[in-house]
Amino acid sequence: MSQLEIRDLHARVEGQDILRGVSITLRPGEIHAMMGRNGSGKSTLAYVIAGHPHYEITGGDILLDGESILEMEPNERCQAGIFLAFQYPVSVPGVSVANFLRTAVSNVRGFTKEAHMASQEGGVVGSHLMPMRKFRRELTAKMKEFQVDSSFARRYLNDGFSGGEKKRTEVLQMAMLEPRFSILDESDSGLDIDALKVVADGINKLATEDRGFLLITHYQRILNYIKPDYVSIFHDGRIVMTGGPEVALDLEEKGYNWVEEQFGPAEPVA
Amino acid sequence: MPNQTQVPTGVSAPAVNGADPARDALLARSEARGEGAWMRGFREQAWAAAKAMPWPSLTDEAWRRTRLTGLDPDNFSYGPTHEGPVGEEELSPLLQDELHEMESAATLIFEDGLMHYRVGVAALEEQGIIFKPLDLAVQEHEDFLREHFMTRVVPVETDVFTALHGALWDSGTLIHVPRNTRVELPLQIINWQGEGQAGHHHTLVVAEEGAEVTVVDSLLGARRGLQNSVVEIVQAPGSQVRYMNLQDLDTSAWNLMHGRAHLNRDADLRWIQVSWGSMLTKAFLDLVLQGPGGHAELLGIYFPTGRQHIDHQTLQLHEAPHCFSDLLFNGALKDRARSVYMGSIRVAPEAQQTDAFQRNGNLLLDSRSRADSIPGLEIEANDVRCTHAATAAQVEDEYVFYLMARGLSRPQAERLIVQGFFQAVLERVPVESVVHKLEQVIERKIGG
Repeated sequence: MSQLEIRDLHARVEGQDILRGVSITLRPGEIHAMMGRNGSGKSTLAYVIAGHPHYEITGGDILLDGESILEMEPNERCQAGIFLAFQYPVSVPGVSVANFLRTAVSNVRGFTKEAHMASQEGGVVGSHLMPMRKFRRELTAKMKEFQVDSSFARRYLNDGFSGGEKKRTEVLQMAMLEPRFSILDESDSGLDIDALKVVADGINKLATEDRGFLLITHYQRILNYIKPDYVSIFHDGRIVMTGGPEVALDLEEKGYNWVEEQFGPAEPVA
Repeated sequence: MPNQTQVPTGVSAPAVNGADPARDALLARSEARGEGAWMRGFREQAWAAAKAMPWPSLTDEAWRRTRLTGLDPDNFSYGPTHEGPVGEEELSPLLQDELHEMESAATLIFEDGLMHYRVGVAALEEQGIIFKPLDLAVQEHEDFLREHFMTRVVPVETDVFTALHGALWDSGTLIHVPRNTRVELPLQIINWQGEGQAGHHHTLVVAEEGAEVTVVDSLLGARRGLQNSVVEIVQAPGSQVRYMNLQDLDTSAWNLMHGRAHLNRDADLRWIQVSWGSMLTKAFLDLVLQGPGGHAELLGIYFPTGRQHIDHQTLQLHEAPHCFSDLLFNGALKDRARSVYMGSIRVAPEAQQTDAFQRNGNLLLDSRSRADSIPGLEIEANDVRCTHAATAAQVEDEYVFYLMARGLSRPQAERLIVQGFFQAVLERVPVESVVHKLEQVIERKIGG
């Protein structure tokens, strides 16, 4: 059975230990919410799973269907079915959403590989990209479904987008890339209630039986719209408690100070 | 400095006892080209001016970062003085491609200094539009050229290179668009220069009141040669000019350029300067806003690779009130390439309510490449809005990671980022086929 397993993962950046033994397993059809204070290392976990070169893995492993992905480049991880929705999506001036997404989708769905193989076999090499009309049709449909205005296809990636527009565009990209496992890093942060509903609605549409989600959040708020199967509390670089949806409600009621009382203060991170 | 010990035949050699074989040769060429007394006299005076003018020295601010070591203008040959036009099928495949890449109202093709092919000109003439090789114009419109050719916009005495240009110009075009006349499609000029040749390409555009015209001017070839071009644009009130200078010379060519536009009241100009080729480029580009309400944009892109050296020096001169000028030069650099950008915004005391902007962005794709950017402001009016900005940066790691996290390989991500960097200029290029062509060159330069 398909799964993404994080096993006793330790990571550091600039000599500072951030992850201190994280273990969690994502399975298709399950939504796993992970809650924690700012600075507890949640975003680091998201970046490390996606393969950000800035972090050094000092122990443990990340296994996709039993195979380690630690040696894989970020694009190889994406092509293997792992998607990270960024807390702060990067603006890339001059690169249009449609242009970028066509290349991304073509890679993930294997168009590039096919073209490469065809050229090696001496066959007729078509475009290494997904055919334009087919891509356009699909993008237009998905933009409508995920409530992204069609004008965004021509706009430059995240350039001048509002917070809500950025997060919606992240969900749109997730919908186009059809990952098996998605890590959503505070996809709810900075959104007003209407924008939050749109983003949550998008995630719910994508949460089918064949897909697993890690929903990283600071607030319980988004869990009013997305029903998690598990909720974990992240504290001081590791998971300290895992349970059902009731954990989020407990946390909401008692606050993060309660976590500290239970599990000790976090080690200072300079 | 030019080599002083060689056979004294050219501009770099002093005349001995009044004898000047190079002057005699250029006058003989003038005669062979069928030029009359006026142009022969013009060339002779320009030659005398060139010989009297100093060669750029390292103490000259404009030439401190761009050295002409190894350039000797006497070391090049010249093309033939007379050859008839050819049919389209006799053009080289490269020139045929250039011709067909773009839908134009009319096209002039020059090879080795002479007009070899033209198409579409007759229909323009019916509208009273002049679009003809300069040597024909010298014969047919002498009075007009006496008024405009290297007199006010780029005077012959500007520097030693403009003086040489005045003496030796070969290929060239006169464009004159009469009052309230609009040319829908672009006018296309293609200049091809053979190996080891010196070329002095001239473009003179005069747009009368309310006239509208788009010109695409391409410079090609000149392997181990020299191109020393001059572009003059004169805009009467309310005229609109779109001018694209596409320099894709061989990477062994020396390239010098002086371009200047004079804008009268409410005139509107967008000048696109593309510097792809040449071993070394020094281009002076000036906008002069002479009447109120003028609107000028000067947009440049460059992408030197290998050991190419590209230097642009610009001036936005505001002489009249209520004018707008916007300059944006974006360049990417690879390998050991070098770029220089020197910019100046000058606002005269009477030019109140000026809006003038100047930006130069550099993307360094290699730690061995280098970009120097020297912006400048000289403002004598008190009610103005002027800004300048210069940046030099490498491809952002966070951009690359974001795109890779969406499945793009590192080369794909870097390619998109570089293409995106040029987009701010490309999206303002008014001719679709030119945009497409520029994108192809960017693609080629990133890859190779």
